[in-house]
Amino acid sequence: MKRYLSITRDPLDEAGLVADRTLSSGMGAAVYFSGVVRGQEGADAIVALDYSCFVPMAEHQFQRLFDRLAQRGSVESVRLVHRIGRVPVGESSLWIEVVSAHRAEAFAACQWVIDEMKQVVPIWKKPVTAADACLPSDSNPAS
Amino acid sequence: MTIPVTFWSYFAELAGCSETVVTVSEPTTVDGLLAALYQAHPALAELRRSTLIAVGVEYQDGGYVLKPGDHVSLFPPVQGG
Repeated sequence: MKRYLSITRDPLDEAGLVADRTLSSGMGAAVYFSGVVRGQEGADAIVALDYSCFVPMAEHQFQRLFDRLAQRGSVESVRLVHRIGRVPVGESSLWIEVVSAHRAEAFAACQWVIDEMKQVVPIWKKPVTAADACLPSDSNPAS
Repeated sequence: MTIPVTFWSYFAELAGCSETVVTVSEPTTVDGLLAALYQAHPALAELRRSTLIAVGVEYQDGGYVLKPGDHVSLFPPVQGG
């Protein structure tokens, strides 16, 4: 199974990611999901989310998830990009694509990776309101 | 044996620092290290039930026996996506 992982502070280039897609002739499904920062966190209006990340562990845990995904045997490739740092409302913080032969497998695998990520990958988010938007982005010195 | 400990996310605010070093005798488990750590950082003790523990880049539980060179990380439930 081919895999691509990026944890980046840069805005996600979704058009570029889609343009870079490769799939073999036996593949009939390419499912991708883009997670976008909402303008509301609970009852509060926000302008951004500050994502912090323990990068070496996050990369390791993502690769372990990809290893488990590969064991399912039905996925040809997975590509995942997670943005960290300050992500404004309306911009994407997560992009994931799964390629497989059939759509059911691709949808299920995409959902599975996201669900598992939210259990084990050390990334955290902190809401940013308009009042504190001018403060520097919060991140751990070691991230 | 000295064990470096990193606090992630809002645990750093609760601890008042993002990193510290804990001196423990050998052999010591993660639970033993936490007992010493919670004395110095009582605000973290209140969140012990939801605390996630890693040694290096792997999750570990309280029974893990620490070795020289280990680096412990403590953090709240993760929130990626």
